[in-house]
Amino acid sequence: MRVLLYGLLGLASLITVVPLLYMVSLSLQTEAETLSANAVLVPDAPQWGNYAELFTRAPFGNFIVNSLVVAGGITLAHLLFDPLVGYVFAKFRFPLRNTLFVALLATAMVPFFVRMIPLYVLMANMQWLNTYQALITPFLMDAFGIFLMRQFIQPIPDDLIHAARIDGASELRIYWSVILPQTRPALAVLGLFTFVFQWNEFLWPLVATTTPEMRTIPVGLTLFNQEYFTLWHLTAAGSVILFVPTAVLFLFTQRYFVRGIALTGLR
Amino acid sequence: MRPRTLQGRYAQTAYLFLIPAILFFAAFFYLPIGNVIATSFRTGPQADQWTGLGNYAQALADPAVRHSFLVTAVFAVMVVVGSIVLGLALALALDQPLKGRVAFRVVLLVPYLTSVAIVGLLWRNILDPELGVLNRVLLALGLPGQQWLNTAPLLTIIAVTLWQNVGYTMVLFLAGLQGIPETYQEAAKIDGADAWKRFWRITLPLLAPTTLFVSVMAVISGLQAFGQAYIITNGGPGDATDLSVFHIFNVAFRARDFGYSSAQSVLLLIVIVAFTLVQLRAGRRGEVTY
Repeated sequence: MRVLLYGLLGLASLITVVPLLYMVSLSLQTEAETLSANAVLVPDAPQWGNYAELFTRAPFGNFIVNSLVVAGGITLAHLLFDPLVGYVFAKFRFPLRNTLFVALLATAMVPFFVRMIPLYVLMANMQWLNTYQALITPFLMDAFGIFLMRQFIQPIPDDLIHAARIDGASELRIYWSVILPQTRPALAVLGLFTFVFQWNEFLWPLVATTTPEMRTIPVGLTLFNQEYFTLWHLTAAGSVILFVPTAVLFLFTQRYFVRGIALTGLR
Repeated sequence: MRPRTLQGRYAQTAYLFLIPAILFFAAFFYLPIGNVIATSFRTGPQADQWTGLGNYAQALADPAVRHSFLVTAVFAVMVVVGSIVLGLALALALDQPLKGRVAFRVVLLVPYLTSVAIVGLLWRNILDPELGVLNRVLLALGLPGQQWLNTAPLLTIIAVTLWQNVGYTMVLFLAGLQGIPETYQEAAKIDGADAWKRFWRITLPLLAPTTLFVSVMAVISGLQAFGQAYIITNGGPGDATDLSVFHIFNVAFRARDFGYSSAQSVLLLIVIVAFTLVQLRAGRRGEVTY
């Protein structure tokens, strides 16, 4: 039985890892090796120069900066807004509260492709196409993040808030100094998920950018591959650049990811 | 004006804190949804001529649109079934007291956190019918090469999607399994139920909420898959992998027909919302409490 289980898990792990290792190998091959009739699995001499060549063939430096600005900006916005809105729905009573909450949760059912065409028209009308604003603003907050924060803030005792009010703290101060510090584990989950998913986002940056200089890595890399179809060693090098940050982030914080998926089924 | 009551003051604070969120969801969700519906009733290069339900009638009669819906349905169903079967099998294996469980879990989750751009490009390179590394390895071993991207393109992108997503459903099932109290399994063991019976009579029924959640998520993400078609197959060969969102993308941004593409988006949205509601309803009926 034990052997069978190890066999199953081992096979699944091999199917997962081998293609990714091949991607790394490919990124270090010469162009001739990528095409040779005898498939090369380990390059003769690692071609680190492939990574440099990538930057001369395409504005790869721009891609990296764009990805960092867009994914980083959206992550910061989520960390700023999601807990604030979650706090309001967790701890305040006000007119239309339930209506607004349902209206918020309903947006979780709206897939991105529904917003894609009208957002494109909106950005075109505002002359925002091909700008960071266009790439960032449609994703400033979302129902999943707000719901996660609300669930996390709800069990915090109301007495803490009352005590702070009696001490004369302002409402903003209460949120910032009493509530926010207690939500750190949830903020970590929220920040990691948001960053990784936005780093990987494909459809909207494809639609909303019009020049190579504004593309993010996933889009820039895919269109690079369409243009230089045979240069697989360079495409692989770009894939490694796209892959490494999320892989490293994940290895160091995998517990948060696993807990985050298990708790909320994010995405 | 300063509200007189304490309640009024809290309400004022709440709305003050909600201003950014209300503006955001109005401008970037509700306004676009209103616009996509409004545009779906219009036609012409500027999408400014009223056509009523014309786009919808055209879409429902258009063989290309119907075909893309069919392709998408097959894709979503197969991804759902595949991610439940494979994810559950791996979760059951990982639920045993094995050494190296954490390492296996980490490895199997990596593709889920990887961009569809990486996954798509990598597998297109591996599976390329002529130059793909898989074929070159097979030929070197004296085995016949494969032509899967030509002979079974839809199944191939389904398999690639499962390669990326199974780790995610595995983690969800693992959490579900760990939520089932040990005492049930123990009691069944004492009553003489074998492992097979325990799985069908205890584990699977008690996992129903997780299975429901996994299937809802997989249907929703399967119905809106895009990158697989855009990156790996370009919708082909022919129109064999013309997934709906890829089809809509092409009508909107290559053919520049915003009216027609908006109507197709609305149709696909209706399908997704209907599916979700039906699944959630069926799930509520079959819910177990323990």
